[in-house]
Parts: sequence; structure tokens; C-alpha cells
Amino acid sequence: MLNMWLMIFIMFMFGNMIFVSKHKHLLIVLMSLEFIVLSIFFSLMLYLSMIENSMFMLMVFLVFSVCEGALGLSILVSMIRTHGNDYFQSFNLI
Amino acid sequence: MLFFFNSNKMFFLFTLFFSTLISISSNSWLGCWIGLEINLLSFIPLISNPHNLLNSEASLKYFLTQSIASINFLFSIILSLFLMKNFFMNNFISILINSSLLMKMGSTPFHFWFPNIMEGLSWLNCFILMTWQKITPMILLSYYFNMNFLMFIMILNVLIGAIGGFNQTSLRKLMAFSSINNLGWMLSALMISENLWMIYFFLYSFLISIMCFLFYMLNIFYINQMFNFNMKFLIKLSIMINFLSLGGLPPFLGFFPKWLIINYLILNKLYIISFFFIFMSLIMLIFYIRIIYSSFMFFSFKFKWFKIYIKNNFFIMINFFSFISLLGMIFSTLFFM
Repeated sequence: MLNMWLMIFIMFMFGNMIFVSKHKHLLIVLMSLEFIVLSIFFSLMLYLSMIENSMFMLMVFLVFSVCEGALGLSILVSMIRTHGNDYFQSFNLI
Repeated sequence: MLFFFNSNKMFFLFTLFFSTLISISSNSWLGCWIGLEINLLSFIPLISNPHNLLNSEASLKYFLTQSIASINFLFSIILSLFLMKNFFMNNFISILINSSLLMKMGSTPFHFWFPNIMEGLSWLNCFILMTWQKITPMILLSYYFNMNFLMFIMILNVLIGAIGGFNQTSLRKLMAFSSINNLGWMLSALMISENLWMIYFFLYSFLISIMCFLFYMLNIFYINQMFNFNMKFLIKLSIMINFLSLGGLPPFLGFFPKWLIINYLILNKLYIISFFFIFMSLIMLIFYIRIIYSSFMFFSFKFKWFKIYIKNNFFIMINFFSFISLLGMIFSTLFFM
């Protein structure tokens, strides 16, 4: 049990670290976002199976996280169509 | 108008409004998170425009900050559900939840995205971002309010909002910093009571709506455009009055909610916070006046050939609203005779 929570914490922290560190591409940031979503999915599964026994919330969570990932990808496409690349160094017009 | 004849945008505006209602009326924290997610999913299509560089970049930055804030919110919610079974006050977890909500509404330690994103939006989207998007995080903040942490945040909000607006020439960034300043007032109102917060929020969004609509109509985005236009004297006068009212000068309507908050802060013996609020609202008033003062009083060109482009003639509405903003507090005494 403790090991699982330790793993979730490490996943969450590393996902946040990848999110905020300066990378070249936007796609890596979106992938780190999905990584954090995965760690939250794991922790939510653990919580729902131990305490509340309402596993349908996992389905709701998956639907919303997939919507968020699709929105991120569509923003990526829109950025590529306006800027021509997905480098963060070209995203500082404002 | 932007939204009224575009059925896509009407739909997303509808879901934007109802996601806030879902979030503030849900009885579990996961429901609150669902409302926040729907809010993000419906605000991004409103502000994004594939033909404009600034709009798409603003939507990207908005997406990144909001998604990381809501993910951190959800993680700390699950953590506190797991560790504590029900929500009694824990200092560490309450700071986690509160700071993710502060990041969602653009409050001070996490405010750096807010002026940047405002720079890439149109005035009506700025209005939505400054008013309606702040309702959900504040209501959620009132459920789980770490008093010591948020008192510090309030003072910081008021300070940063007043100091950050000094060197700005862009009106949208200036309004963003004014919104950060007013966020400090709103958090203190939330600390005292929710009704007080509602009064403050309603009157603030009324004043902000007048300003945003005026700037939208006149197509003004920077301070130097105030000099170039051959504006009529009445328009300049109404901009001046609304700015003074927004800054909280006593005979106008904007003073009324600030008066209430100062009154209740002093009743609760929070003298230091009220000192900071009053002191910084003076600085806010300085740079509100600096926008319009020189073009209003002594320094203005009159071009013979310049034709001002006014988008639509709703000046009767503007005059009516600025009449309320001018005399609202004076007439409100009639209710208590």
C-alpha cells in the first residue's frame, strides 16, 4: 500500500517537473500532462477500490481526461498551423 | 457583437455559464473538478481563432496553466480524501488546494499568465476572463479557506496589482493588473461573508463591463490611442467618470463595496490589511487617472482628417450605465430613508 502511494507520488512529482522544465517542443509538455493524468488515474483507482467502491467515477475521469488531451492536441495543431512549428521559443509574441 | 450571431460560440458560451453552475452547486469535490474541466473545455474554443497568432498563443497558455492547475487540484483532493476520510483542516493540504485554485483564477503568486493572456484576447473575452471565470475558484476557495495563508495572499495581491500596472501602456494589461488588485479585495470579502463577496463581485463586474464595452466600441487597446482619436467630450467624460468609479473615489458607485469591506475589516480588527488596501487603492487611482487625464484636461490633438471608427452606436446604453455608476451610491441612500 505504502509502496503504491510512493510510486504515485514519484510519478506525480516527476510529471510536474517535466511539465515546468524548459523543453524544446510543446508535445513533450502535453505528454507530461498525460503522464500526470495516468498517476491520478492510478491513485483514483486505489482510492475508489479501497474506500468508496464507486468505480464508475473512473469512467467519468477517463472521459474528461481524454477530452482534455484531445483539446491539447487540437491546440498543438492550431499552433503548428499559425506558427509553423511547435517550439516554445517561438511562442513569446505576447 | 461577437457571440450573438455565431451558433458555435453561443453554444460554448452556454456551456461556460452552466459549467460554473455545475461546479458551484455540486456536493462533492469530484463534481467541482468536473465543472472546472467543462469550464476549460468551453472557454478555449471561445478565445481561440486559427487566423490570429495572438489568439492561438493566448489559448495555448490558458490551456497549459488551467490544465496543470486543475490536475494539481484533483490530486490534492484525492490525497486529502485518502489521508483524512473527510475534510478537517490540515495546513499542508489546504495550502495545496488553495494554491491550485489561486492559480486557476490568476491570483498573485501564480499571476504571471494573466496579463499575458489578456494581451491576446478581444475586449469581450477579457471581460469574461476578468469576471465570470473567477466565480468558480472563489466559491470553491470559500469551502476550504486557509485563513493565515490567504491573508498573506490578499496583501500580496493588492501590492502586486498596484505596482505591476505602473509601466504599462497596454490597456488590457492595465485592466489585468487592476483585476489582480480587486482580487485581493474580493478574497477579503470572501473571508468575511459570502453576501459581501457577492455585492463586491456584482458591482465590480458592472463597472468592468462598462469599461470593456466602451473600449470595445471605440477600438482602443493602448494608452496613446486616447490622444489620437477625435473623441467627443462626452465620451471622454464618461471614460473618466467610470475610471474614477472603478478606482473607488467616494461619490461614485465603486466606492460603495470598498466602503463595506473596509467597514467589516475594521469591525474584525484587521487593521493592517485595511491599511494596505486603502494605501494601494490610492496607487490604483493614480494610474487610472493617468490614462485619461492628459487627453481629457489639456493635451489633445484635433485632427481634421481623422475619422473615428466606432463599431456600434450603443451610446444610450453606455450613458445610462455611466449614469448609474456616477450617481448610484447617492441614489442608494433613497432606499434607506
